[in-house]
Amino acid sequence: MNQFTKSRLANMSIRARLLLSITLLAFVSMGVWSVESAIAARSAAPVEQTSPVHPTFALLDSDGENVLTSNAALSLDKTCGTCHDTAFIASHAFHADLGLSGITEAGQAATGTPWDTSTGLFGQFDPLTYRYLTPAGDERLDLSTAGWLEAVGSRIVGGGPAMTSREGQPLLSSTLSGPEASILDPVTGQSSPWDWSQSGVMEMNCLLCHTVEPNNAARIERLQAGQFGDAVTATLLGTGIVDSTDQGWAWNADAFDATGELKPEFVRIQDPTNENCAQCHGVVHDGATPLTLEACDLDNPQTATTGQVISGQKISESGLNLADKGKLTYAWDIHAERGLKCTDCHYSLNNPIHYQERQDDKLPNLLYDPRRLEIGEYIERPDHTLARGQSAQFDVAPESKATMRRCESCHDAVPTHQDWLPYTERHMQEVACETCHVPELHAPAIQSSDWTVIKQDGSPVTVCRGIDGDSTVTDLVTGFKPVLMQRTNVDGQSMLAPYNLITSWFWIYDDANGNTRPVRQIDLETAYLQNGAYRPEIIAAFDSNGDGVLAEDELTIDGDASKQAVTEQLAALGLGNPRIYGQVQPYSINHDVVRGKEAISDCQTCHTDKSSLVAPIVLAGSVPGGVLPQFVADVNVAATGVLDMNAGKLTYQPDPQADDIYIFGNNRVTLIDWLGALVFLTTLLIIAVHATMRVLAARRNPKEPVATQPVYMYDKYERFWHWLQTITIILLLLTGMVIHRPAMFGMFSFRHMVTLHNALAVVLIANAALALFWHLTSGQIHQFLPRPRGFFDQAIVQAKFYLSGIFNDGQHPFSKTYRQKLNPLQQISYFGLLNVLLPFQIITGALMWGVQQWPGIAAMMGGLPYLAPFHTLIAWLLATFVVAHVYLTTTGESVEGDIRAMITGWENVPVHEEHTTQ
Amino acid sequence: MQRKHVSLLSLFALILVLAACTASANTGTVTNGDPDPWSHVPAQPIHTDHSHIIQGPFNSGQEVTAACLECHADSANQVMHTTHWTWEGDPVTVPWRDEPVTIGKKDQINNFCISSQGNEKQCMTCHVGYGWSDENFDFAEQTNVDCLACHADAAVYNKGNYGLPAEGIDLLAAAQSVRAPTREECGKCHFDGGGGNGVKHGDLDESLYFPSENLDVHMGRLNFLCTDCHQTDDHVIKGKLLADNYTIDPVAQVACENCHQGTVHEDERINQHTDSVACQTCHVPAMALKNPTKTYWDWSTAGQDLPEDHYTYLKIKGSFEYEKDILPTYMWFNGNNAYRYLLGDTIDPSQTTEMVTPAGSIDDPTAKIFPFKIHVANQPYDTVNNILVPPRTAGEGGFWTTFDWPSALVLGAQDAGLDYSGQFGFTETSMAYPTTHMVQPKENALQCNDCHGENSRLDWQALGYPGDPMEWGGRDLSSAATTQRTDSPGIAAK
Repeated sequence: MNQFTKSRLANMSIRARLLLSITLLAFVSMGVWSVESAIAARSAAPVEQTSPVHPTFALLDSDGENVLTSNAALSLDKTCGTCHDTAFIASHAFHADLGLSGITEAGQAATGTPWDTSTGLFGQFDPLTYRYLTPAGDERLDLSTAGWLEAVGSRIVGGGPAMTSREGQPLLSSTLSGPEASILDPVTGQSSPWDWSQSGVMEMNCLLCHTVEPNNAARIERLQAGQFGDAVTATLLGTGIVDSTDQGWAWNADAFDATGELKPEFVRIQDPTNENCAQCHGVVHDGATPLTLEACDLDNPQTATTGQVISGQKISESGLNLADKGKLTYAWDIHAERGLKCTDCHYSLNNPIHYQERQDDKLPNLLYDPRRLEIGEYIERPDHTLARGQSAQFDVAPESKATMRRCESCHDAVPTHQDWLPYTERHMQEVACETCHVPELHAPAIQSSDWTVIKQDGSPVTVCRGIDGDSTVTDLVTGFKPVLMQRTNVDGQSMLAPYNLITSWFWIYDDANGNTRPVRQIDLETAYLQNGAYRPEIIAAFDSNGDGVLAEDELTIDGDASKQAVTEQLAALGLGNPRIYGQVQPYSINHDVVRGKEAISDCQTCHTDKSSLVAPIVLAGSVPGGVLPQFVADVNVAATGVLDMNAGKLTYQPDPQADDIYIFGNNRVTLIDWLGALVFLTTLLIIAVHATMRVLAARRNPKEPVATQPVYMYDKYERFWHWLQTITIILLLLTGMVIHRPAMFGMFSFRHMVTLHNALAVVLIANAALALFWHLTSGQIHQFLPRPRGFFDQAIVQAKFYLSGIFNDGQHPFSKTYRQKLNPLQQISYFGLLNVLLPFQIITGALMWGVQQWPGIAAMMGGLPYLAPFHTLIAWLLATFVVAHVYLTTTGESVEGDIRAMITGWENVPVHEEHTTQ
Repeated sequence: MQRKHVSLLSLFALILVLAACTASANTGTVTNGDPDPWSHVPAQPIHTDHSHIIQGPFNSGQEVTAACLECHADSANQVMHTTHWTWEGDPVTVPWRDEPVTIGKKDQINNFCISSQGNEKQCMTCHVGYGWSDENFDFAEQTNVDCLACHADAAVYNKGNYGLPAEGIDLLAAAQSVRAPTREECGKCHFDGGGGNGVKHGDLDESLYFPSENLDVHMGRLNFLCTDCHQTDDHVIKGKLLADNYTIDPVAQVACENCHQGTVHEDERINQHTDSVACQTCHVPAMALKNPTKTYWDWSTAGQDLPEDHYTYLKIKGSFEYEKDILPTYMWFNGNNAYRYLLGDTIDPSQTTEMVTPAGSIDDPTAKIFPFKIHVANQPYDTVNNILVPPRTAGEGGFWTTFDWPSALVLGAQDAGLDYSGQFGFTETSMAYPTTHMVQPKENALQCNDCHGENSRLDWQALGYPGDPMEWGGRDLSSAATTQRTDSPGIAAK
């Protein structure tokens, strides 16, 4: 036993030494792990890891003095700035900027509304959180900069507008005015001065993203109390490093070593984990405990607005009361399940591990540029502009859009799709990966937020989609399918991608300066409430059941009375022309990706009448004040669909055709179908009438038997190509019908029909080409060529025969011989068939097939929206030809004689001389 | 002419077939071995109702066996060649002993009731024989084989002291109920191993009599019997317990791969795991799913008049800890032991003595990461000679009647033939049991993030990796393959 223990320990220590030399992880003491230690520690909690690489350091205050001696608040600018270039970091961080650098006059921001001053959190009015950052010079103050920090602080990391005025001056040492030197007093409704030297300002808070379990709650508490200068230090409360006392900060000397630096066990610096990101963004869940969440909780904005949950846990193991939960035996997000972190995709743009040149910066001949930052240089000056996608909401730092690696940067989709997905490249061009790989969101998301009314607590009427009730644990969560909209990428490419649409209504007014602004929440509350209860005028206008109490379902502006009442109240507050405004904001859905097995792979999800590409999404259960909402401008999403009231609900139905997308099986030109059907049916009708007349004529005037002789009419090859073409054309028509209207032919697999249709087309073209070659080389081509002289006379003779002669003497004007098989009418119709219909069908078909190889050529012809209906029309004409052709074969000497001739080659031809031409 | 039509038409057909083929290319899959697991599951024998065959009357178990042997003449002889009968393996050579040794319940000790020697009165209720009361038991007497132990309906047969039929058993009814063993017959001893439900194994307990599919996919969803996997040939039952062996011939062991052959996962990344990760690691993600299992047993507190509770303290046994739904301990394991404590081995009482050390390491290409239940005990040892000393417990004058450690240990040392100084203390010992039952449906198997990333259940560095192999890469088997299989012990994960 002992010798084994010894050898084992010897092995381990060698391994441990090797590890240490490899990893340089000075603090890792994992090498002594063994069976014994694992057993001995069987009930001990895992030891919390200290930072494996970050050195110890002193905590400095804003004067650069050690906080141990100054007992002042922590300054990260000074502390982290000892080694890192904090000025560089703060100036390269949209998390700090939040729109400050793009701030402009109200109405000048790219969003196009009269009230927005930027496209970021600092300056763009968000009807979900509602409070409005008032520009300088406005009549009424809602959020001053200080008020904004208090109200939205939980989502603000510091730096940017928390340090710097809109004019670019430091908040602390500048002479400020207007909304930068005041705050709205919620009691008086008037602005009162704000003293930044009292409140302090908030530096960019490195700790929030770079430490294990930062105390965000304490930080937010300080922010909400207006103690901005203490917010950073509060992040460390509870770590044992600092305590808050009535006298100020009390730094715990036990956490520091003799030199005044933090002891290693208190240095819990790390790369940002998902939990760090989750503090401001949305629900992130790791570990074994069942995931639960609050429905539509704006403390988790990403989840509230999109239903996205970042978790590797299987949905079926979550704590949500989900419909069909037992079947959802896959992770919320496959990437989380596969061990990816937020920062793996949203990395620092100069991180040498992940850095990539932007496509437009790349030299065409340079695949990889090895001249990169050294890791040390990066750590000194890490760019805190994080790689990001092309989301439609809150366009902060638009220049950094599409810097992220996207699905196709990591995944080669072709090998996994080409085996089963027809037109793989075409799908990849037109459809974002998320469209199929985020088929459904399993958490609720906000559907609408109606700020035209407020509840007694001052909150709006918010409706969640994807849940029947409020609690995700006790009410049924159904989840929702995102709506698909055309997204235009930074590179100009457009593709369908999934979105949640959030519709908001709120009051706007014209202020004394003639500016249009959202009605302040304080004014709205004054209009509705008096001493915490609804005003009698409001109750009178809204109380539809007359019980004197406003229930939530009565709280909607659904008629003139309620609209009038609120308008009057708002006007009484001095708000000019108060009116309702509605907007629809698309929210991109890119997370909660599922893998192939769970993704959409059934063709008929899209290629059918009930295509999910045109599935309407409910926007709201009512339209406050009858005001239809407008889509927010300056988003990269085309809102070309239709807003409509359906069964009392406002819906948005996408219209891909409006975006020049033609979806087989879903789109069709009704006129073409009617026209084609008309031609086809008319032909059938003519045939029916003609056939009836022939039968009657034959009965009245029985045909005398004519002496016939067998003539070898059709060569083997002629018969072969004819029948091959017959079968091919019929099958093409049938498969084409399934592709055109898959809902009518549900028993056929759309996918296989597409493949078969393409294969048949190849057979058709090859057969036509070989037949042409044969006809040319054998000289038989002359059969099809109408002879110029006398052609029309002969054609008229033949037509007369079909129209009258056939009912009388039944003698064909032209007798059929091996050398002259076709009568003039056949010649002209085959000439048309073979020179017009077939080539056009082949060309349109080839172009449609070619949209993925040569989309440019198809686009020159107008793309699929023109090619496809044309192809359909010719298909109708071909079908018409087939029936007419078959009928005409019965007009020979005997009803079935021509068909038999085309099978055997031998035809019985009447023996008479006068009309033979040869 | 007709023949030419035929040839034309067949050309036609050929072209169409070719066209159709392009539509459905790429359908083949490569397999090795029969990928259909059912082809490896034996057909259960057709039940023969013995109620009209066996007449009785029977006055003893031995008379029943004699009746069985009238038709099944070879059966007793076959059973006598199995460890169910001998309770010891064939002699093996171990590096730390000069003489070959045998390992088994008969002559070695464990972490639970410690030793059967001297305690036959109770221990032999799970022996497939009648009347093993001391070393004079006649192992060669065929009628001493207890056929009913495994073949009588467990509802009508039970064993009592020294393995004799329990009092009041209707032997005729028991004999007439015989059948191929079901989970009930096997479970009677194996689900209660160590002295009660779920004591010894984290993956075998009475919940498996009527399991749901989420408890065990084979037994729950597919209603497997034990013998579907533990296939039997002349009463030799496949499958060996690590604790009762030193090394185990893979041929004699049950493995998932016996039935699940070929490319078992759709995802190639998962298939890449199977060289280093045992099936059980992902498919048995937790133990003691329904009934708790004993994880700690402290004999030193036994004999006191403390409040008794099945799960915390019994006067005869001491104090326990039971746990439910527990995370296994992960170690490298090549199927063998690196060490098995043998009576007389000296210990280091300052450390926990591993009575079973699974063999394997990251450098051993035959080893895979495997889930184990670790049971820790605090049991008596000779403080002078530094050897473990089994107490006499259930036997005459044993601890369970006298509650006197000194005398129980003197008697126990006699039973085991140990040189005992008379000075005793208690020391921690541990045993590792591979976890292989309670296999979960694939929907409940572990996912990537269970082992990789920040919330890993594995301690990769303790397993010998430089770090999470998702980031640091897997072990290099190409160089490991050239080295000899090592019997060095595995390394525990957290």
